[in-house]
Amino acid sequence: MLNMAHSFVGFCLFFALLFGHGVVELEASHHVYKNLQTDQSTASANQPYRTGYHFQPPKNWINDPNGPMVYKGLYHLFYQYNPKGAVWGNIVWAHSTSKDLVNWTPHDPAIYPSQPSDINGCWSGSATILPGGKPAILYTGIDPQDKQVQNLAMPKNLSDPYLREWIKSSKNPLMQPTAQNQINASSFRDPTTAWLGPDKKWRLIIGSKIHRQGLAILYKSEDFVHWIQAQSPLHSAKDTGMWECPDFFPVSVRGQNGVDTSVNGPFVKHVLKVSLDDTKHEYYTLGSYDTVKDIYTPDKGSVESDSGLRYDYGKFYASKTFFDTAKHRRILWGWINESSSVHDDVKKGWAGVQAIPRKLWLSKSGKQLVQWPIVEIQKLRSNHLRLPSKLLKGGSEIEVSGVTAAQADVDISFKVTDFEKAEVLKPSWTNPQLLCSQQGASVKGGLGPFGLLVLASEGLKENTAVFFRIFKGQNKYVVLMCSDQSRSSLNEDNDKTTYGAFLDVDPEHQYLSLRSLIDHSIVESFGGGGKACITARVYPTLAINNAAHLYVFNNGSEAVKIAELNAWSMKKAKLNLKD
Amino acid sequence: MANMIPLVILQAAISFSFLPGSYSASNLIETTCKQTPFFDLCVSSLQSDPRSSNADVAGLAHIAADNVNVKATANLQQITGLLGGATDPELQKALQGCVDKYNAIIQADIPVAIEAILKGNPKFAVSRATDAANEAQSCEKGFANPPKSPISDSNKVVNQLSLVLQSIASLLL
Repeated sequence: MLNMAHSFVGFCLFFALLFGHGVVELEASHHVYKNLQTDQSTASANQPYRTGYHFQPPKNWINDPNGPMVYKGLYHLFYQYNPKGAVWGNIVWAHSTSKDLVNWTPHDPAIYPSQPSDINGCWSGSATILPGGKPAILYTGIDPQDKQVQNLAMPKNLSDPYLREWIKSSKNPLMQPTAQNQINASSFRDPTTAWLGPDKKWRLIIGSKIHRQGLAILYKSEDFVHWIQAQSPLHSAKDTGMWECPDFFPVSVRGQNGVDTSVNGPFVKHVLKVSLDDTKHEYYTLGSYDTVKDIYTPDKGSVESDSGLRYDYGKFYASKTFFDTAKHRRILWGWINESSSVHDDVKKGWAGVQAIPRKLWLSKSGKQLVQWPIVEIQKLRSNHLRLPSKLLKGGSEIEVSGVTAAQADVDISFKVTDFEKAEVLKPSWTNPQLLCSQQGASVKGGLGPFGLLVLASEGLKENTAVFFRIFKGQNKYVVLMCSDQSRSSLNEDNDKTTYGAFLDVDPEHQYLSLRSLIDHSIVESFGGGGKACITARVYPTLAINNAAHLYVFNNGSEAVKIAELNAWSMKKAKLNLKD
Repeated sequence: MANMIPLVILQAAISFSFLPGSYSASNLIETTCKQTPFFDLCVSSLQSDPRSSNADVAGLAHIAADNVNVKATANLQQITGLLGGATDPELQKALQGCVDKYNAIIQADIPVAIEAILKGNPKFAVSRATDAANEAQSCEKGFANPPKSPISDSNKVVNQLSLVLQSIASLLL
């Protein structure tokens, strides 16, 4: 009799929870499952947009990369994942490991709602390697009142190299909005990797805002469990809106090696990166970190807004770096969401991919960061095609055949010798994205546009153009790099926004290099050896698989010389397939 | 007579306590709706929901999302009805496309937008509202004319209500 009463109460509580969350009404949730199940059975039959070598799970929604780290020589990536569908929701920390950052083995979700402090969601966070090599994860949980709070999880078994199971602290939440601290409960998330100060105390920052002022709230701790809010934020900026996924780390002033997150001194500069909720762009500044006052000061001239320096001028968000102790590099992960409509995402049964991990370092000039795909990705290269040096006349294109154009790695460098026909850069042309939109690949120019036509259909009805235009600036030549998606697909439901960036390269004295990683529905392009990066998502209807082509083109009046062209087919990586 | 005075005072107190409350609520609705592209539609659709008198901006966003859902659900019923009686293959194709798109609005866009608003991750509400507006527009464009769209007005309402939601959710970023 008592058992029946208990199960009845349990039954009622379950429904109360389901309705109480206001997430989805029971009736509607039946529809969601029914439709998504039907869609998933057709999804496997025709999947022209799945990647060959970009990280993604077999199906469903993913967003932010979480807690990237290396432990006992094995790389870990966790990520925001919906186990139930192709849209954001039911978020857990999915988990994969890799020996080489290229081929990935999936494990069961590491963190999922199980305590009051994360019962309504396990959102983003970071890993810190504690003294002795012990990893700790701090992440944002959504509590029963839908408040954003911060929680700690540690590995259950340190002798499991895969670190499959994690135990949450019974003291969670360790940091939360209160009436005293006046922190906005809907704007308090994404704890960073912590760093040690000279006083041996831990510090980390959490993204927040006060009205429109973006904020990096600083916390300090002696034992990694008891955290005390610092008097001042590490940094803030007016009118930028919410700061999501902050990242704060040092970079060496010399060379390409990374340094541990706790390092400070004359041989490093500090980087503060934030993701802006408002524009879905990220920006970073370079500056110095005063460990006594715990204040970060960007260098003079740093732009603190959406017009500042970005890791990537296309689709790239919620990024996070970690220090790879195995190979002494700082590695950057970034989430690339879909540019397709939601009904297309539901039909194909998945949404979101991760960028290829990039090595990150300070440029020789010290004025910006440089990125380059990790060298391990080159093990997928095959069918090496090398084109001899050649003059590319204005108004011409050359097909690059012999590689799988839908799944390729292309690296080309141009040499410009004649600058006569370079158009003058108008002083009002300060927005590179706008400039590229107004002057796409089909707009003939003086010196440019020249570059690559990727995921192109025969006859070029569909193509994605990644190219340069050179303008005459005040004292020097200015290079504009564009990724033009306007003709990428005949499907009008896609977002075909064009992206652009100014590239800090002197075309009079340097070669203009462009590398594109092409992978079915993603094109990651690197200009000037990684000084400007642009990532785009495209969904051609004709230029898929064997029907995709690759061209080098020049739609300017002036000829340019192709100094070197290397292209490879890329083999498929092992992406989260269960053995 | 003396007994009535406390009653009168009580009544006055009640009236006065209501007055400032409703004034500031409609003020918030107006200032919020001024930041959307469809002021009149925004005001009327928010005010018709009794929750709006006590809502903050996040609450108004939630109501706006519910408004999209109600109209989209009604549209889907209309579309399914038309599909049942359609014989022209072009019309059937367009209507079937609309079924997919309205399913996306109702089952994917709106639930995600509401969860995002409740939990404080407004960028997902903004992007899903944008998608909902696009889905309604895409449904409309699916009618090649011929055949002419039998649901132009309904698509327009859902599109506009979605853009209202997009603007209100943007205020939370």
